[in-house]
Parts: sequence; structure tokens; C-alpha cells
Amino acid sequence: MVFSAKTSGSDEWKAILSAISTLVEEATFEATAEGISFRGMDPSHVALIDISWPNSAFEKYECDGDIKFGVRIDEFSKLIKRSDKTEAIEISLSDNMLLISIGKNKQYKMRLIESSATDTPLPKIPYDTRISLATGLFDKILGDVQVVSDYLTIKTNATKSEFSGKGDSGEVLISLQKQQDELSEISVKEESIGTYSLEYLNPIVKAVGTASGSIVCEYSSAKPLRIEFKVANMGRIHFYLAPRVES
Amino acid sequence: MQFSLISDTFEKMEATTKRLELTQHLVDLFKATPRESISKIVYLIQGKLRPDFEGIELGVAEKLAIRAIAKSSGSSVKKIQDIFVEDGDLGHAASKALEQKTQTTFIKQQITAERVYDTLLKIAKLEGARSQDMKMKYISSLLNDATPQEAKFILKIAMGTLRLGIADNTVMDALAIAYTGSRTNREKLEAAYNVSSDLGRVAEIVAEKNLDGLKEFHVSLFSPIRPMLAERVKSAKEAEEKLGKEFAAEYKLDGERVQIHLGGDKVVLFSRRLENITSHYPDIVENITKALKTEEIILEAEAVAINENTGEFLPFQELMHRRRKYNIDRIVSQYPITVNLFDIMYLNGKDLLNSTYEERRKKLEDITVENEFVKLVPKIIVRSENEVEDFLENGINAGCEGLMLKVLDAPYRAGARGSNWLKLKREYRNELGDSLDLVVIGAFFGKGRRTGRYGTLLLSTYNQEKDTFESICKVGTGFTDENLDQFYQILSSKVTLKKNPRIESGMEPDVWFEPELVIEIVASEITLSPVHTCAKDSVRKGSGLALRFPKFTGKIRDEKAPEDASTDQEVVTLYKNQKKVTQDVSEV
Repeated sequence: MVFSAKTSGSDEWKAILSAISTLVEEATFEATAEGISFRGMDPSHVALIDISWPNSAFEKYECDGDIKFGVRIDEFSKLIKRSDKTEAIEISLSDNMLLISIGKNKQYKMRLIESSATDTPLPKIPYDTRISLATGLFDKILGDVQVVSDYLTIKTNATKSEFSGKGDSGEVLISLQKQQDELSEISVKEESIGTYSLEYLNPIVKAVGTASGSIVCEYSSAKPLRIEFKVANMGRIHFYLAPRVES
Repeated sequence: MQFSLISDTFEKMEATTKRLELTQHLVDLFKATPRESISKIVYLIQGKLRPDFEGIELGVAEKLAIRAIAKSSGSSVKKIQDIFVEDGDLGHAASKALEQKTQTTFIKQQITAERVYDTLLKIAKLEGARSQDMKMKYISSLLNDATPQEAKFILKIAMGTLRLGIADNTVMDALAIAYTGSRTNREKLEAAYNVSSDLGRVAEIVAEKNLDGLKEFHVSLFSPIRPMLAERVKSAKEAEEKLGKEFAAEYKLDGERVQIHLGGDKVVLFSRRLENITSHYPDIVENITKALKTEEIILEAEAVAINENTGEFLPFQELMHRRRKYNIDRIVSQYPITVNLFDIMYLNGKDLLNSTYEERRKKLEDITVENEFVKLVPKIIVRSENEVEDFLENGINAGCEGLMLKVLDAPYRAGARGSNWLKLKREYRNELGDSLDLVVIGAFFGKGRRTGRYGTLLLSTYNQEKDTFESICKVGTGFTDENLDQFYQILSSKVTLKKNPRIESGMEPDVWFEPELVIEIVASEITLSPVHTCAKDSVRKGSGLALRFPKFTGKIRDEKAPEDASTDQEVVTLYKNQKKVTQDVSEV
């Protein structure tokens, strides 16, 4: 069985691992001829990450089977962090070890763990609303809402989105219009309003952060939210978050 | 096995104080438990995950639990805190919060007892920088799938605040009924428990192989034996009446009783309550082998703090410095000890529990080479009251608490308190002539300088027959400011919403505690009381016994389990002896 995957820099791995680390401690990756993928849910079953990293995004990619390998995320991260931004990273497998070559002359071997992954089904929901905005702007909105609330409410109609939060100390409302430097896309089948926990949103947005220039948020009223992070040179990261409902 | 079976049982048990009903609820639960899970269920009932000697602690802090509840319910941390402050129990707070749950999840699984146990075990074993976060997530994952009632008990178990009001004996009764059909087999389970100190394993074996299986329990290295206990006597004369013409007398040292397991290069130490205390005594670990001519052994010893210059014994309190995690090396040299051996239970593959005291002592002497650090507890054979009194006098002058008096041809009865061993304690200089070790069961809030702390404590003796704690006095003197802070710190975590069913009291304190903390009290005399329930009806119908002018001596008896506290019977004896003294006086 042949498997090796090489990226020209280390940013992709850093973004992916830090995204996964916000939800789980151990992760099982799956590699096929098409590329590498990961899917996992946090222990509370509130959030889910689905990553698809196609072979075309790699500098070099080889895989002639269907391979699963499990790693401890914090250990893997530690090793990847020993690389410079521009150093190529190549991973391969041998004898229950993950070989990680960094740059020209550094190679780590990391013990794999038993992969405990059970199939995590993706929520199948029609999304009534789809908006697109810059990751930096979204991060700023989360920060603005966090000041007064633990959760974010998004309300969207054909022309604008309202991001709001309410807490013991007060309220906040941020309104964005459809225009290039605010919302680059709004598509609404039906006006939608959903509320989501910042405890999950903040870490993931911070983790993927600058690796992704823009995001697409899709949701329906009182239904899960799906955020797509577009990472240059890579496929996509989908983050699903279960809504809060009024009691 | 559905966790709801357990939480339903616990709910029923919380609603009753009758021991027979409590036992029956456990029997029903055990009968519904699949065999492979019985040990887990027994540990959960005891509020633990593994036997004490393995030292696995749940370690879920209040703050963390509040965060987990907030996360699972979607309420704010502040809101959870408010509910918690209102009724003082996080279990209730969790169940209330979940009733108003707002955070939805992608999957909901029915929660099994095994999952609860396995998750809690994972939590207990988590270490490292991110462990607090992970612990919180694990608890939250349980709470996500839990009903409000299940959440209540998961939280109580996780935080060590499960108060079912049952002792090990009740659990053993229920196991005997469920798996052997008769409560009378409790003794056989108890024997297995005594040598293994692991009730979960006893349950597992008896569930699988019935009584026959219990035969496989024997003494084994590194698995602690429940210690043999002594009855208290008031005088040399009383001892002689109980023990006969010839018996052994040993110094009773005021130190920590330590069970030493040695095999190969490995030394493991257990406290009297069977916690692993190896880390407190690196000096024992390092030096014990030099004094022993043998390979594998289980010994009992008293570790006593000494004055390095004079060699004198120092009081027990000095040893408390050793109960710490860091800088133990500095403490070892600052508070030196000697190890004073007094019994042997196992030697090179041979179980000595059924050997007589005389044989065991002889073996112990044969294999010990005394040195500066390791000594044999001084012992003589006595034949008269006078010899006992002389030896007691010598012991007290040497800094001992009193004497241990032992039947020469008696075996080592693990886990049992019987009259084969007696303790004759040093007389204190108060009128009552003796101190009592009493269990704190309740408290009244302080006033003035003591505002915000417990001003007065309600204390109890232990009734062995009924397995209850009966109130004997309120105490409010003898406390330093430091003591008051210390008591508040220790006791506030033991507060219970309602009185533990094992407590018998005619008094209503401001707060009830789980009967756990033992403190030492002196008093001027024992009087009849219409309020207190200690030894009620046994001296006079309708009256209990109470202490007059009780005073805290400053000693918290950390090393004592509540069941080791002074008993109602001891108080009756003290009361009668005190009577005798007055009569004697009036006759003169």
C-alpha cells in the first residue's frame, strides 16, 4: 500500500489541526485516491467538523487504497509547529507510525492510536439562507457580541443580515447590507432566524482564522448552522453547529 | 444497563431512612444488574470508581461542573450559580437547568451505567494542561443525553457528594441477599472484603461464582488488608477481666498506623483507612528493607514523629506535615520519624492471619534487625493488673498514648473490632479522665467574631449495633480562629440538604453534615440528657447521655473513620465508672 501526501508549506496543516483540536482530542483521518478527509463530532454532540482535502491541493499526493489513521491531535500539532511557514511537509505511514518530514532534513515519527471513529452522519437539512462574508469581519462580529452575550442570533432577509446578542448586562445589534465590503452574497428562500453558542463559534473561527479569507454561512430558522471556510490551496472545512432553542 | 435504573434506585433511597428499605432497594438494583457490570455499580454506589487504595479520585471541581451544566443546558454560568446558591446542591442545579435546556444536539443516545462509569474513569485519569477543558466536555457530553434526574446523580457522583446514607455493611447485606439468597452470608462476603479491601471485586466474584468463588480471596502483596481494631477499656482491672491471666501489653504510640507491603524492590504503604500513602514516607520506602531479613512481607507499624536530638516521641500532629504533594524531601528531614513494627500478616507467600499473636510476634522478632529507624514496638507479657499499670506508667513517660493489650492465642481478625485487642489510653488531666473522639454531624452558625463560620458544632458518638450516629453534645469552646476557618473549610463541603439517615438527633442544627469528620473532645462529666440521643434508654428510660462542659482539644482525628469514633457503649461505661467514683466518695 502506498500513501504519501506533500504540501509545499505548513499553513494548511496548522489550520486543520487547530480547527480539529477545538472539538476533539483524538482524530481519525481517512485517505483515499481522491484525497484526505476527516469528520468528527465534539463529545457534547453540539458541533461537527467535516474536512475534505482533495489530492489536487497537494504538491504531491499518492494513495492506492482506503487508509484510516488515528492520531492524538495535540501531539501531531506539536510536531507540525516545529516547521516554518514555507517548509514543505510530507506525511506517510509505516509500521503503525506516522512519518512526518519537515523541510529538507527533519523527520519525525509519531505513534498512531487505534482509530475509534464511528461513522458520523452529516445533518441533512435544507438551508433557507446563505450569506458570505470575510472571515475577519465575522470574527469581529463575534467579538462584538461576546461582550454582552454568550450566543449569537442571526436574522437574514433578502437585503440584510442582523447579528445580535442579549445578556444580563445589555444587548447588541450589528446590521450588514448586501454590498461588496460587507455581505458579498445573500440568498434567502425564507427569512431565517437562528441562535448559536459563541462557545463553539469563537474557537473555530480563531483556529482557522487567517488561513481562510472568507466564509459562507448557511442556516434555517431554529436549525443547524453550517459554516464553510475556504482555505486557499486546500479544499474546504465545513463546521456544523446545533442551534439553541428558546425554552 | 440503563443508567436510569440506578438513578431511579438512588431517588428511592434518598426518600427513605429505613435501613431495611435501603437494603431492599439495593437488592432490587443488584438483581437487575448484568454480572459483568456489578463491580462498576458497586463502586458507583460507594461514590467511587475504584477501591480506595488505588487512589483514583474523581476530582471534578465545582466551577468545572457549573461550566459543564451551563454548556449542556445552554444557560449562562451565572444562572446555574444562582440556582446552586439557592439550594446548595449542584445535582439539583443540574436537573433544574436541564429541565429548561436550550442547546440542541445532533445525536441523542440513551445513557448507560457503563458509559457513565467509563466516562467518569476517563475524567479521573485526565492530566495535563487541557485536562480541565476536556473534563468539562466529558461531563457535558453525559449531561447532553441525560434526563434531569440522571443528570442530578451523575453530578453527585462526579463531585463526590452522593449521600445515600448507607455503609459498606448495607451494601454487603444486599449483595448477600441478591446473590446467595440469604443475609446470613454477609460474614463470608465481609471476610473476602477484609483481605481484599475491594468491595467491587467481592461483588463481581460472588455474582459470578456465588459463595464458592469467595474462597479465592486471600491475602496478597500490594493489596491492603482491612486492619484489625481494638476495643477500648477504662482500666487495667477491666482489661484483666476481659483478657484473663496472661496477655501481651504493647506501647500504644501516638503516630500513624501504616501497613507496609514489601516485595522485591517495591514498597507500598497504606494508611489505616487504606489509602496509598507511599508518597508521604519516602524514608520508609528507602530504609525499611535494611531492617528486614526477608523478601516478601506485609507488616503493620506505627510511624511516629520524633525529636531528633532527644529521640523522644512527638505527638501525632507533627505527622500531618507529611500529607502533602510537594517538597516532601525537605519535610522528611524536618520532621523525622521512626517506624515501630507491631504485627505481621504475610511472609514469603504465607498468610499469617490465622497464626496466633504469639506466633506472629515471634516471626516479626525473628526477621527484624532493629536500627535507628526501624524498631519493634516495646512489648511485655503481663500477668497482673499491677504489671499493666507499671508498664502503662513507663509508656506514658516515654511519650505514648497508652497501651495495647492483646490475647496471646488470637488470630489477626482483619476488619474486625473485638475484645482480642484492647486499648487502654493514657489518662488526661480532666475530671472525666478521658478524651472522646466524636463525629461532627451538624453546626450552628456563629455570631459576632464567628459570623460567617460555624460557631458551634453538634457532635455524636457511633452506635455499632445500629450503625448510627447519636448526638451527645454541642461544642463551642476550645477553638482558635484558625480552627474556625479550618472547620468551615472542611465542613462546608460535607453539608447535606437533609439529615443523613444514619444520624439520630433530637436537635435541629442550622446545617447537617455527612458524618465524616472526627475530632477530639474533653469534658468535665457525663450527665443524663432529655435532648441528646447517645445511649438513649440504656441508663434511664427516656434519657440519653450528654457531655457537660465539652471542649475541643485542638486535635482533628483525620486518621479516624467515623466508625472509629467513641461509641455509645464506651460513654455508658464512662458514665458508670464516674458514678462509682462519686459513690466511693460518699461512702468515705
